[in-house]
Amino acid sequence: MQTTKAPKLKTKRSKISYAKWGYIFIAPFFLAYALFHFAPQMLTIYNSFFENYREGLTQVGPNFVGLKNYITLFTPDKNGTIDILKYAGNTIVLWLGCAVPQVVISLMLACFFTSYRLKIRGQQFFKTVIYMPNLIMASAFSMLFYMLFSNVGPVNQLLTQAGWIDAPIDFFNIRFTVRSLISLMNFLMWFGNTTILLMAGIMGIDQSLFEAANIDGATSLQVFFKVTLPLLMPILVYTVITALIGGLQMFDVPQVLTNGLGTPNRSSTTLVMYLNNYLKTSKNYGMSGAISVVIFIITGLLSLVVFKSLTKQEEN
Amino acid sequence: MKKYLALLLAVLMLTAMFAGCASKETTTDTPAASTETAEPAKTEETKSEEPAAEEAPASEEGKVFNIYAWNEEFKGFFEKYYTVPEGVTVNWIITPSADGAYQDKLDEALLNQESASADDKVDLFLAEADYILKYTQSPVTQDITALGVTDFSNTYAYTVQAASDASGVVKGVSFQCCPAALIYRRSIAKDVLGTDDPAEVQEKLNSWEKFNAVAAEAKAKGYLMTASEAATYRVFSNNVTSPWVDENNNLQIDSAIQTWMQQAKDFSDNGYTQDCDIWSDECTAQMFKDGKAMCYFGPAWYFNFSMGNAQDAEKGCFGDWAICEGPQAHFWGGTWLLAPAGTDNPTMVADIMNTFINNEEVCTNLVKNEAQFSNNQKVNELVAQDESYGSDFLGGQNDIALFCDLAKNIKFENNTIYDQLLNEGLQANWREYCKGTVTEDEAMSNFYKYINEKYPTIVTP
Repeated sequence: MQTTKAPKLKTKRSKISYAKWGYIFIAPFFLAYALFHFAPQMLTIYNSFFENYREGLTQVGPNFVGLKNYITLFTPDKNGTIDILKYAGNTIVLWLGCAVPQVVISLMLACFFTSYRLKIRGQQFFKTVIYMPNLIMASAFSMLFYMLFSNVGPVNQLLTQAGWIDAPIDFFNIRFTVRSLISLMNFLMWFGNTTILLMAGIMGIDQSLFEAANIDGATSLQVFFKVTLPLLMPILVYTVITALIGGLQMFDVPQVLTNGLGTPNRSSTTLVMYLNNYLKTSKNYGMSGAISVVIFIITGLLSLVVFKSLTKQEEN
Repeated sequence: MKKYLALLLAVLMLTAMFAGCASKETTTDTPAASTETAEPAKTEETKSEEPAAEEAPASEEGKVFNIYAWNEEFKGFFEKYYTVPEGVTVNWIITPSADGAYQDKLDEALLNQESASADDKVDLFLAEADYILKYTQSPVTQDITALGVTDFSNTYAYTVQAASDASGVVKGVSFQCCPAALIYRRSIAKDVLGTDDPAEVQEKLNSWEKFNAVAAEAKAKGYLMTASEAATYRVFSNNVTSPWVDENNNLQIDSAIQTWMQQAKDFSDNGYTQDCDIWSDECTAQMFKDGKAMCYFGPAWYFNFSMGNAQDAEKGCFGDWAICEGPQAHFWGGTWLLAPAGTDNPTMVADIMNTFINNEEVCTNLVKNEAQFSNNQKVNELVAQDESYGSDFLGGQNDIALFCDLAKNIKFENNTIYDQLLNEGLQANWREYCKGTVTEDEAMSNFYKYINEKYPTIVTP
């Protein structure tokens, strides 16, 4: 039977290539990507070499100006600061403020939730609750915080009534508090998401490895560092890089919280807020294109750094 | 069988995707293309087409009337006092004005006016003194005298001048006249100045020296002179002797503005005021009964539209207010109705404009029922002389009489198309200096950065 069937199959295979179906099915993605991602990206780069903005109701340009937009971006002001680098620094500080606790706490929660020894009850409930803040629109969430922490808001009223402070704390004009609030909000919005991703990663690890480690007398910490973490690395790298990309595009929370001003002294202005400043009134496609390109390069470089450093650890 | 099923699925998926693309592309592409490519041509085109379009007022007018505005103020009066012709639906497109959001929205719509379908065309839009020039000087607005608004005999001259382009073509009308006054809390004035009589209060606050001195007295008694360091901004900015930019587009900060900057810092340092935006909750919270602020500045629309907290039935202090001229005469804001080129309802546009400036019944209602100061001198004068008239909010004071006097001094000059955002930007950036979070240099440098981002052509120091 086998000898008769085998050649038949072979001839069939040589005639029909199922590969084309594969290509057809993935074609929509590539077409959509080319049309809605790749083309606009190329256009952005192209636009960044032009002077192209609106003055009132009159359009200026587009006139080719070469690298002028980039030169303007990287020209230091009177005090010697290069704005775009300052805003890149702000963005990274804000991102670190939310990413570090996010990864630590999410890892911890993921371990607790997946631990067969703890067997936490009502997991489903907790998972839903920690994911909840992500369902609220970022701008609505920041508006809520804006109300809560404003000078006449409930937080200041409570603190005053409790007698802890005499005058309201101006949360949005002290660098530390603004940045902390922004990081806190981003943390609250994203740690649930990260927890669920990491849980999926941990559940993908063979349970027998944990059991074997336990039988060999490993402590919980040893299990975590020697078994869970190395095997979780691919997912963790993915999580950190996506968080980084999201973090570098941070916009809505600081924009709403500081009324687009990035107070105090533009120390909470992020790269995308800077881009938005150029785009909003003057529709300055040249300058904002140049900023986009810079953000793209920074994102690429940082992702590479994160990827290299985390995967190196894995090898060690 | 499976093969055909797979083929069918694949084809379905692809067509669905392309269908999606196609519709998306047409919607996103057309406006973009028209703004970019048609724009240079557009300016001339509309110019040449305009008279032709006006000569033949279409007998059949559009069924949808789109009005662009930045708040609900005019909407309220419109719905109350204007009878919309049978079969016409009025559609309000309201975008808040802060940070130029309203201007951005309006600009998009006006620049796409030509390609928009009849029902989507802007038929009437509202503009403030701060940026009206941008629209009147552009071909996006049209001559309203050609539409049938010709009688300006009763309107205040500055309202017509403000709505005219450089060659004197009138492009719109204002339904209000906006002389502004000092609005004070009677009870606080009694405590600080010993009187709440408008004439006597005016005597004690008729110069900035006196105003600043009284601020110290108010502070000594536990009050605030103003609720925001920007409360006095308009008084100064409205008395500038030079516009924000000179003929070479260099930024210039007028001496009046500089005086305000100094005053703001002094008031802030001495605790005479709060460091907050005039529209913030912090500022308006001082209008409640337990508020400490004595003075606000504003025209009629300010105390009837923006002092809601003071009129609050429970926590407010209705009737505990009065107005006087204050240290310096000024005007603030005003809402102009402008006629966009290309409207498909020209007759209705003209009718609305005529109603709100020349219909004496409507204007009287605006004054008596809505606490407005109308743009009809005859009506205003009548109310001013009416012994029985008094504003309850102002404790029975006849505000119209004072506004009639103040309206005579209004001059619309030294304006630029940049005013709104430069005024907002200076206040916001200077506030950080008042708060002490940045140095004076940093505040100014941040203000210049703000300008460079918004208006690339303005040359900053």
